[in-house]
Amino acid sequence: MRASLFITCYNDTLFPETGRAVVSLLERLGVGVEFRARQTCCGQMHANTGFRGEAFSQAKRFVRLYADAENVVIPSSSCVAMIRDQYPGLFEELGNEALRREFAAVLPRVYELSEFLIDRVGVEDVGAYFPHRVTYHASCHGLRSLHLGERPFRLLEKVRGLELVPLENLDRCCGFGGTFSVKNGEVSSAMLTVKLEDVLATGAEFCTALDNSCLMHLGGAMHRQYAGMKTIHMAQILASTQEHPAEVLG
Amino acid sequence: MSAVADSRRQVLDRIRAATRNSALTAEQAAGAYAQLAREYVRQGSLNAEGRLERMTERLREYDAEVVECAQEGLAAAIAAQLVASGRRRFVAPEGLPPEWLAGGFEWKIDRDLATSEVEQAEGVVTACFCGVAESGTIVLHHSAAEGRRVITLLPDWQLCVLRASQIVETLPEYFARCQQPPTLVTWISGPSATADIEMTRIKGVHGPRFLRVILVRDKS
Amino acid sequence: MSAGAEHPILDPALAPPFPVAALPVLRNPQLRKNVAHAIEVIQTKRARLVAEKTDWQELRATAAAIREHALENLSAYLEQFEARCTAAGGKVHWAVDAAEARRIILELLREEKADEVIKIKTMTSAEIQLNPYLETAGVGTYETDLAEIILQLGEGEPSHIVVPALHVNRSQVREIFARRMGIENLSDDPKALTAAARNYLRQKFLAVPTAISGANFLIAETGAVAVVESEGNGRMCLTLPKTMITLAGIEKVLPRFADLEVMLQVLARSATGERMNPYTSLWTGVTPGDGPQKFHVVLLDNGRSSILKGKTERQTLRCIRCAACMNSCPVYRQTGGHAYGSVYPGPIGAILTPQLMHLRHAQSLPYASSLCGACYEVCPVKINIPEVLIELRAQVTDQERRTLGKFFDPMYLGMRAANLIFSRAWLFHAAQRMGRIGLRFFTRGDGWIHSLPSVGAKWTQTRGLRGLPRQTFHAWWAARRKEAR
Repeated sequence: MRASLFITCYNDTLFPETGRAVVSLLERLGVGVEFRARQTCCGQMHANTGFRGEAFSQAKRFVRLYADAENVVIPSSSCVAMIRDQYPGLFEELGNEALRREFAAVLPRVYELSEFLIDRVGVEDVGAYFPHRVTYHASCHGLRSLHLGERPFRLLEKVRGLELVPLENLDRCCGFGGTFSVKNGEVSSAMLTVKLEDVLATGAEFCTALDNSCLMHLGGAMHRQYAGMKTIHMAQILASTQEHPAEVLG
Repeated sequence: MSAVADSRRQVLDRIRAATRNSALTAEQAAGAYAQLAREYVRQGSLNAEGRLERMTERLREYDAEVVECAQEGLAAAIAAQLVASGRRRFVAPEGLPPEWLAGGFEWKIDRDLATSEVEQAEGVVTACFCGVAESGTIVLHHSAAEGRRVITLLPDWQLCVLRASQIVETLPEYFARCQQPPTLVTWISGPSATADIEMTRIKGVHGPRFLRVILVRDKS
Repeated sequence: MSAGAEHPILDPALAPPFPVAALPVLRNPQLRKNVAHAIEVIQTKRARLVAEKTDWQELRATAAAIREHALENLSAYLEQFEARCTAAGGKVHWAVDAAEARRIILELLREEKADEVIKIKTMTSAEIQLNPYLETAGVGTYETDLAEIILQLGEGEPSHIVVPALHVNRSQVREIFARRMGIENLSDDPKALTAAARNYLRQKFLAVPTAISGANFLIAETGAVAVVESEGNGRMCLTLPKTMITLAGIEKVLPRFADLEVMLQVLARSATGERMNPYTSLWTGVTPGDGPQKFHVVLLDNGRSSILKGKTERQTLRCIRCAACMNSCPVYRQTGGHAYGSVYPGPIGAILTPQLMHLRHAQSLPYASSLCGACYEVCPVKINIPEVLIELRAQVTDQERRTLGKFFDPMYLGMRAANLIFSRAWLFHAAQRMGRIGLRFFTRGDGWIHSLPSVGAKWTQTRGLRGLPRQTFHAWWAARRKEAR
């Protein structure tokens, strides 16, 4: 089985360690990983901020780039949601039938990481070791667009040494929302404060999620407030073993 | 006058332009209407006893007082409720069965009473059309035995006679019972309430604060 | 309503943009507490009842289908409603916009020589700014809904469409009632306050012969109107006066009486977390001897027919005003309703208000959302609010990017630059390098960026940003491949 990694623009730039973890994890599971160097962005930021024409061009690039990929794996549920929820409408509006058909062919082969592991590879126990107290935040796109459901929990439960602490109001938005975090910076910060109360109350060492966007926002406040907790993408937990413990940066 | 017709024309034209392939009349839309998926629960699963129990339970949740009686014991049950109320002046709809008008009380029969006269009543007794057990709802169609809307609105104390055969479990079952759509309906699911002040639920803002229901175990 | 807060402006044409309007609210702990408490109560009740209702998703599906079908065939159903209502003794009027609706209503009141009118809560009348118009014309308006009285007497503005005064606490209500109703020694116990309102209103109900209501639903099949309420003030206004004027948006129509079997089930659970609200009234035209003998319906367009046009936008009109969306909204939870600058706040307000304004105002509202989707999840008629928000953002952006002012706006410049950068991998990689070098200036010894200028300042005001790693993922991959050879 081969997986083509779509790292996402922000992971490539800000969280390369998440990408390294995905590669390490998938290779350990016997999945061949490829990386198409021409990739850039899925267009979500532009689409959600109202720059639809720009989003079109990025969507086209994505579809053309992965037309022949066996599987496309993306460690970011919001990007997968963009592709599943918004690409259909974009291609419909573009009116290019050939492109729409290309997209329709790629779509079933696009997976968020936890989906890929559980639904495609068929594993829950990925052989991970991460001896820490961890709480899990359910990113909105993963929860409501992708309906990831129990998948993240089933993966975390099998991680040796990991103590999973439940998060109150785990389905409440952290307040990131992409450009919302700066366009409505104050409201975003108010939502962040409320969310952080619940996260810090768990007493966990780490807060994890399947999206670095949420984690960047939560982690940014933890750092600012000297909060004694860190954020870490779930890929890094799942990639962590006794021989090669997770890279925890920042 | 023509300005009025203009607005009507304008609004309808705009709507038709916005919904280009739509039906021109409600009759033409009926086909599409019939195709709408309806997979919600239409028919309940409780038997008659279960429905009675559920209705009682839900009414009591709203602090309505519920008593049962047999068909033969109805008049006496009504009288007992009236006595227990401590009130004297009652209003009743024109079509209320005369044997329900217990002796020893002041009865005003509503033959077009003035509002001020209804205001003076301390309580009201009526029949009803239906009871919906799932929500403890009493449905009034304001027939002769149920009365005009004002008489179940102004008095502070309301007694409703609900026959077991009138109780359905689900709301769709009530609608199925309407041979044709009624012109006047009041659905009552508990006394008036507000939660407008700090979400604290206060009962009895306007409308009867005391609701009493007699469930009659009639046959069928 | 609270010391220090400016009087909220709920006219979208005049209200400040959402990020600005939110600021005084965010700094108001009492208000934030009130809002959080109120929506917590309703949400908890709703959740329990939805869990109990085994056919909840099926009900939602049909509710959405009924509303969509009604909108698709709106002209047919409106005409049917008009015919049946008229045959039953009602008179139907059509208002193209708010101004016309106000004029029609005033004319009807003048015909009745009415100098006073009692009102059942209707957001539609607030939408058309009816009360100030009538007051100026010499007609006294008396709200009869408890929340509306609180707001009317306290000169406040609604912040929620079902519980409009949820931002007001009991001592504030006590102060307003004591002052305006002239009551000495009034306690702040909600029971006492409610009793005060009950007494205050009783005389009005019995004396004022003209009433104005809204409509939750118009039934095309029979020409009936349905009003859903909890307090009983609706029943009072519908039954006691001689003349009733009902103001209803054109989108309120349902095809058949039996459609209420679905709508009433989803509305009560969504709006107040009850299996059924205390009182629902339905009447058809005029019933001799029972209730108002003169009945008028004013059908209001005011922008709804243009919302109907849009493939994505049309679903906005399915709304049955239950407010479940705002109860679930994490943004609304922090800001309350006034920040939206409209009588329709929260998620539904964020899509409805700008569209009613033909995108000439309230352009900040579609951005007042983190797109979390909680609203869509709870909407009983399945309005995909995030989808409409994104559509409206695109329309607002298309509008704004043509203006000179926005051309050089940092956000717009940044977005255009980013698009160019994403169009070629080498441009993207070059930009990453440049970004890393540029941001090095802002990166402190701990490897984090603590403060940024311009748009970035909005981030760093409350969050740090980890400095850009030296090696991007793609560079690591390329290096690894090279090593492998």
